[in-house]
Amino acid sequence: MSFISASSVKYRYEDSEKNALNGVTLKVNKGEFVALLGHNGCGKSTMAKTLNALIIPDEGMIYVDGMDTADDEVTYEIRRNVGLVLQNPDNQLVASIIEEDVAFGPENLGVEPGEIRKRVDTALKTVGMYDYRTHAPHKLSGGQKQRVAIAGILAMQPSCVVFDEPTAMLDPNGREEVMRTIKTLKKKGITIVLITHYMDEAVLADRVIVMEKGEILTQGEPEKVFSQVNLLKKHSLDVPQSTELAYKLIGAGLRFSKMPLNVQECIELLEGALS
Amino acid sequence: MIRDVALGQFIPGKGIVHRTDPRVKIILLIAFITLIFCAFNFVSLAVVTAGIITTLALSEVSFKLYFKSLKVIIFIVIITSVLNMFYGTGDPIWQFGILKLTMSGIYRAVFVSIRIVLLILISSCLTFTTSPTDLTDAIERLMKPLKVFHIKVHEIAMMMTIALRFVPTLLEETDKIMSAQKARGADMDSGGLIKKVKAMTPVLIPLFVSAFRRAYDLAMAMECRCYQGGDGRTRMKTLHIKKLDVFCIIFAALILAGVVLCDIFITPII
Amino acid sequence: MSIIEAKNLSFTYGLKTPFEKKAVDNISLSVNEGEVIGLIGHTGSGKSTFVQMLNGLIKPTSGQVLLEGADIWSKPKEIRKIRFKVGMVFQYPEHQLFDETVYKDISFGPRNKGLSESEIDDTVKKAAKFVGLSDELLKQSPFDLSGGEKRRAAIAGVIAMDPDVLVLDEPTAGLDPKGRDLLLSQIMQYHRERKNTIFFVSHSMEDIARVADRVMVMSKGRLEMFDTPKKVFACADKLESIGLRVPEITKIMLTLKDKGYDVSDSILTVEQAFTEVVSLLKKEGKL
Repeated sequence: MSFISASSVKYRYEDSEKNALNGVTLKVNKGEFVALLGHNGCGKSTMAKTLNALIIPDEGMIYVDGMDTADDEVTYEIRRNVGLVLQNPDNQLVASIIEEDVAFGPENLGVEPGEIRKRVDTALKTVGMYDYRTHAPHKLSGGQKQRVAIAGILAMQPSCVVFDEPTAMLDPNGREEVMRTIKTLKKKGITIVLITHYMDEAVLADRVIVMEKGEILTQGEPEKVFSQVNLLKKHSLDVPQSTELAYKLIGAGLRFSKMPLNVQECIELLEGALS
Repeated sequence: MIRDVALGQFIPGKGIVHRTDPRVKIILLIAFITLIFCAFNFVSLAVVTAGIITTLALSEVSFKLYFKSLKVIIFIVIITSVLNMFYGTGDPIWQFGILKLTMSGIYRAVFVSIRIVLLILISSCLTFTTSPTDLTDAIERLMKPLKVFHIKVHEIAMMMTIALRFVPTLLEETDKIMSAQKARGADMDSGGLIKKVKAMTPVLIPLFVSAFRRAYDLAMAMECRCYQGGDGRTRMKTLHIKKLDVFCIIFAALILAGVVLCDIFITPII
Repeated sequence: MSIIEAKNLSFTYGLKTPFEKKAVDNISLSVNEGEVIGLIGHTGSGKSTFVQMLNGLIKPTSGQVLLEGADIWSKPKEIRKIRFKVGMVFQYPEHQLFDETVYKDISFGPRNKGLSESEIDDTVKKAAKFVGLSDELLKQSPFDLSGGEKRRAAIAGVIAMDPDVLVLDEPTAGLDPKGRDLLLSQIMQYHRERKNTIFFVSHSMEDIARVADRVMVMSKGRLEMFDTPKKVFACADKLESIGLRVPEITKIMLTLKDKGYDVSDSILTVEQAFTEVVSLLKKEGKL
């Protein structure tokens, strides 16, 4: 059974005339890494908030690990199980000391003090911020703050983490730090939903879902989705430059065994064509 | 630049005073303040002073910093003691018009200035040796009994924690907003008071809007982390009364006893 | 003709304190009228401090900034006048938008400049047109705009002062690809019409490759390189050694060249790469 299963989800904000989500059906398997792509306002952030019961759909159902997000009784169990990391790292940190911030989640859940200590240390080590545990958040870089925010979620021991544009406010170094952390979580078997508009981040996923106007435009393995260069361009979405070059060359009559998604793959394919 | 202003005077350290339970420190501070005002003769005042000086010495914070904290109030000390000097009753030692200097006036002045200085020193000692987070924490725990009176102790403490967390962030942001408006030719340095206050509008509005935005985000982030108020919440750091804390309490009790005995057996001067 | 010049420009934070930190270290350069200068470097490389010295928001600890040949700090009391000549847009529009309507907000700069009401109206409308803000939007509160619109309103607020030099700090950060492309094309359109000098600070090498005539590379407060994008991005090794990268497409072509293929080392766009690879394939008889 899928870990997350959403069926024909519709949702409209109170002050809006259009549906932010207009019948989204999707499934996410346990341990899967899914990237959600699309413009600002395409509904991807709204979708993220439905996954941990911050938003309850007007129509349709969302089940997380067999629990209905509309059921009040399990709201906090769902939020514990599906952590949400937001865009602005500054606005997610509650306490003035890193380790106390990471402890915030488990404290809310009523975990025993000794167990909290263990979880906090493990979470900080996972994101590589253990050495900073007694520092103040405002002295950290954006990437470091975002990693602390991730640790705060990990300390609740979720089986899925949803990232809502976690790198949008970061510089390239910060982006890399966060993406490295996401890869670590993936290795630990945590289910990941990554919302982004950076293509180089999306290509790391097992599956890419492209949203447009509250609906799913296309989805599949990154290679399949990005090979639809025309469709993506039509909706003014980016395509990795490697993929775009290959796409143009195919148009000129060249044959490739597969679509390249990064520099390395592109070079290998070009070399193959030239030799 | 605004962000250079030191906020919270906490000086990290591992000394005896640093390690003492923050709850004990707050209670001892209150005890010391009471004692300062209960010393009515020179001997009891000397006992309190000795107690405070010992505490400062144990705090392992350099005396330079304590002097610095006194610098700010030096004028208040001088003015109040001069005023007190001429307020005494009894036979004047020296008189000039309506100004008359009496022995009791001089005693009063000495007492007042010593009291203010001691007050500042011992309060600084608490802020120097206790991190703001520990302070908030201790206040929350000490105020717990007030729940009986339906005072939202946890909520108050949570607000203090969040305020402490966001003060540096908002100061930094103020700096950036000021730069952005100066880049549009805003004149914030010249003109009278009213003009200056008016010139702050382009800074204050973005700052408030941003603060609300942050509050909204933070509330959502807290919900994501299962925050449901104080009920059923545990804490990672639990506070236990240690041997050291007991010694501190005994130390304070001895000084208390000393002051009370001196007050009883020696005639009060003021 | 050079419009803005830096002469041995340096800035040290916390001078004579234990926290002393050299943010900008002895930078000298000269920029010609009408050039678009891309500025790249890490967070903390000093680029932000450098651009803030150009309009006198930060006073250099040593060295000079010359605007049209004159030191901007020759009359410290009149430094505010420099801000109208060197306009600066910071990264977050939220830091500057404050007035009731977008129109009023854009007129803040021109009003500080001391223009008459009719001049203000004229320049505000012109600026709004450059960045594609409709009359309808001008009547709205700036707080009701979308992220991309806010960014454009903030830029309009600075170009309404009609500066000769325009500094844009990360103008496309946080925008989605659609918003980014639109904004870039509007900025370039404005540049073609106004023909002023632009400093474009960005982390996006792809954006820099698209717009810049010359690229400044800063690292640890020093100016490491200052040349055309083709020459700068051809030095991928040097850029990577200071932790910066080159555009993906440039990297592909540079690697091919390293492997002995006869391709140019100054490819900046997918179109250029495509032409280059096709001609190579034809030469080898593979196409």
